[in-house]
Amino acid sequence: MISDLELVARVTGSRDQAAFQTLVERHQAAIRGFLRRLVNGDHGTADDLAQDTFLLAYRKMHTLKSGTKLLSWLHSIAYRQFLQHTRKHARQQVMADPPQQGHDPRAAMEAEIDLPELMEQVSDEERACLTLAYAAGMSHPEIVDVTGMPLGTVKSHIQRGKQKLKQWLNEHDHSLSKTRQSSPDLPAKEASRA
Amino acid sequence: MPEQSFDSSLEQMLAYDAPPEDARQFVSGVMHEVRREHRARRWILLVFGVIGALFGAAGAVMLSDSISWIFAEALPATRVMQLALFTAGAIAFYTWIMNDDLPIDS
Repeated sequence: MISDLELVARVTGSRDQAAFQTLVERHQAAIRGFLRRLVNGDHGTADDLAQDTFLLAYRKMHTLKSGTKLLSWLHSIAYRQFLQHTRKHARQQVMADPPQQGHDPRAAMEAEIDLPELMEQVSDEERACLTLAYAAGMSHPEIVDVTGMPLGTVKSHIQRGKQKLKQWLNEHDHSLSKTRQSSPDLPAKEASRA
Repeated sequence: MPEQSFDSSLEQMLAYDAPPEDARQFVSGVMHEVRREHRARRWILLVFGVIGALFGAAGAVMLSDSISWIFAEALPATRVMQLALFTAGAIAFYTWIMNDDLPIDS
């Protein structure tokens, strides 16, 4: 398999569209997933932002510094696209349209917890930090690179976000472990971990 | 709930949905936009290139009398030949001095 580095070199060197297509195929799921979390379930908006992210990446590929991970760089572009979007559009307008839910088996497993509603409890910045840490599996320094926030701010966003989620779950009498035990579709491995 | 257990639960809860089924459609949408942008750039380059060429041609026509005067009267034929030779030599020297890429394999 050709490495990201080589594909990036092809795109910057000769504007190789086939190489760029391979990069899009490789990273679209992560970027779309990240943006879907940020816009809290509005798949249409998330995909529009993801498309803008890849177009901007194509235009600015030559500015990618050596040593920077492509996926982190794409996440940082996506995050900036999201911030620009939230600045442009009033948050209420986003909330007015009912978000489309994916057909994820995991979502069915968590049927008792309304994930978009849960994620509404945290601010945009907290949601971004939590998503990058827990869904994308990034380290704190990587999140610093993506968001441009200081390390202390990232840590406090994650801590505060976690506290808010925990509090909301407690207030609504949701226990993650209880939900899992009550779910008949829960795989044994996940049940034992919970 | 212990912190570690809550962290792993959070990991599961926030995990991205299954990979979108319309991945191919999304990729082709992005590539369509990339190609569209390429075409637009090419058109912009072409239009401005033509405008530049037109202005260049107009300028050359306006200066044609004085240019022909330089070559016909101000400079004798031997001087023109010397100038051409000097220019060719300068280009050859520039090419030689700038071609300093070292082979990667020893």
